[in-house]
Amino acid sequence: MLKKIECFIQPSRLEALKDALIEAGVGGMTVTDVRGFGRQRGRREDETGAPEVRFLEKNKIEIVVEEEIVDHVLDLIKNAARTGTIGAGKAFVLPVEDALRVSTSETGKRALS
Amino acid sequence: MPKYNIDPWEMALNQLGEAARRLDLQKDILRVLSFPRREYTVNFPVRMDDGSIQVFTGYRVQHNAARGPSKGGIRFHPQVTLNEVKALAMWMTWKCAVVNIPYGGAKGGVICDPKKLQVSELERLARRYAFELIPIIGPEQDIPAPDVNTNPQVMAWIMDTYSMHAGYSVPGIVTGKPVSIGGSLGRNEATARGCVFVVLNALKHLDLPIEDLRVVVQGYGNAGSIAARLLAREGATVIAVSDSRGGIYNPKGLDPGAVLEYKAESGSVVGFAGADSVTNAQLLELDCDLLVPAALEKQITADNAPRIKARLIAEAANGPTTPEADCILAEKGVTVIPDILANAGGVTVSYFEWVQSTQSYFWTEREVNLKLRDVMDRAWAAVAAKAEDAQVTLRTAALMLAVERVADAIAIRGVYP
Repeated sequence: MLKKIECFIQPSRLEALKDALIEAGVGGMTVTDVRGFGRQRGRREDETGAPEVRFLEKNKIEIVVEEEIVDHVLDLIKNAARTGTIGAGKAFVLPVEDALRVSTSETGKRALS
Repeated sequence: MPKYNIDPWEMALNQLGEAARRLDLQKDILRVLSFPRREYTVNFPVRMDDGSIQVFTGYRVQHNAARGPSKGGIRFHPQVTLNEVKALAMWMTWKCAVVNIPYGGAKGGVICDPKKLQVSELERLARRYAFELIPIIGPEQDIPAPDVNTNPQVMAWIMDTYSMHAGYSVPGIVTGKPVSIGGSLGRNEATARGCVFVVLNALKHLDLPIEDLRVVVQGYGNAGSIAARLLAREGATVIAVSDSRGGIYNPKGLDPGAVLEYKAESGSVVGFAGADSVTNAQLLELDCDLLVPAALEKQITADNAPRIKARLIAEAANGPTTPEADCILAEKGVTVIPDILANAGGVTVSYFEWVQSTQSYFWTEREVNLKLRDVMDRAWAAVAAKAEDAQVTLRTAALMLAVERVADAIAIRGVYP
């Protein structure tokens, strides 16, 4: 079964995560520059009491993998994206019903590899 | 094997009475819950390898079936008594109700010493006992599982015997089966995994980061060794572990996987390189944040409870804390995650196995684990909320919640006819 992993990380961690995912055999990924806030509400950890909620620059990474390696990929994300502070990001796992590689018409897991 | 100071059935009734009092439970409902629905005793002959015939006594007790078929393990042990089996059946009713799976409680036992039986004799004993239980077990009425001295092989024999008499395969008759005949992926790790899920909830509740957590695990069998590995994977530091021969301690942390490999080769964790030796008694009193008793009953007693330094205790074993010790720990402010919650991951994945077996459609391991997490997270939330509401310990809250759920089922169904 195929799963999509969407993760939101700090842009400074993107290269390290890309390398780790390629190393794990992930065949492709899509990266988008996005803005958002989470528990830190747009503040840096050394700021206190700022009432305003700000959007911070983040990267959204989307990959589709087989279910068997989801836990391993989440471990890689945890290790590569960790910054030692709050606001390092989040990852979500979604079900994927099917996949299609346009050039060859391959579907399902064959469309990934 | 438990050595009870008081009769285990009396102890179970006392606990029920206490929960009923706090819940202000109707006397009628309490009366119903104070009796097992069925107590079945069988005396059956088994042909031994030397040609002689021995007669064995076995029991199966079904405490309650208001919420669904009854569920519980089968133990083979020389000290099995009917009152012990009755008590264990009642505790199974509560355990299933705490995690809100649609089962009542049951338990079975055969008085025998498996260490003195040949495998061939054990097989004939298990098969004959299973045959004797045919009138009262079944996927819709009572589903056995492994317990003390029984394992997936014994479950396979029981499943085969039942199936031979039915005339077709009935995989849903037992859980804890080998995967090759309809067992569930993740069943083996389920008790430990369920325990770790409730620990993670407790840590969030207590605001303790897992990275700072120093863990001590007593018992390095199935539950203990897997719990140690999973906790380390989550970022905790496992500083000491033990088995029946003794313990090892390294305040800088142990590699649980390496310790397990060492135990597999040498037969014990004792002697593992780079760690100091400790006794099981010393191990319980080590300076740590989380203590996981995953061995025998009655390890934390009135004697050692005052010296326990852990902030949190997760009872992976059944009944590791005596009632006197429980009071002492509560006064000290130690959070105890009670056995009926902390080790309910086992019966929860047994339930998943039964669901898969009866549907003949099987899930991936990740699916099993995620569904287990969902059940454990909900159970934790319900027990924690009950403890908060009633201002009681998690143990009392879990029992109150369980009794309440079973009592509701009895009340809404009414008394037949």
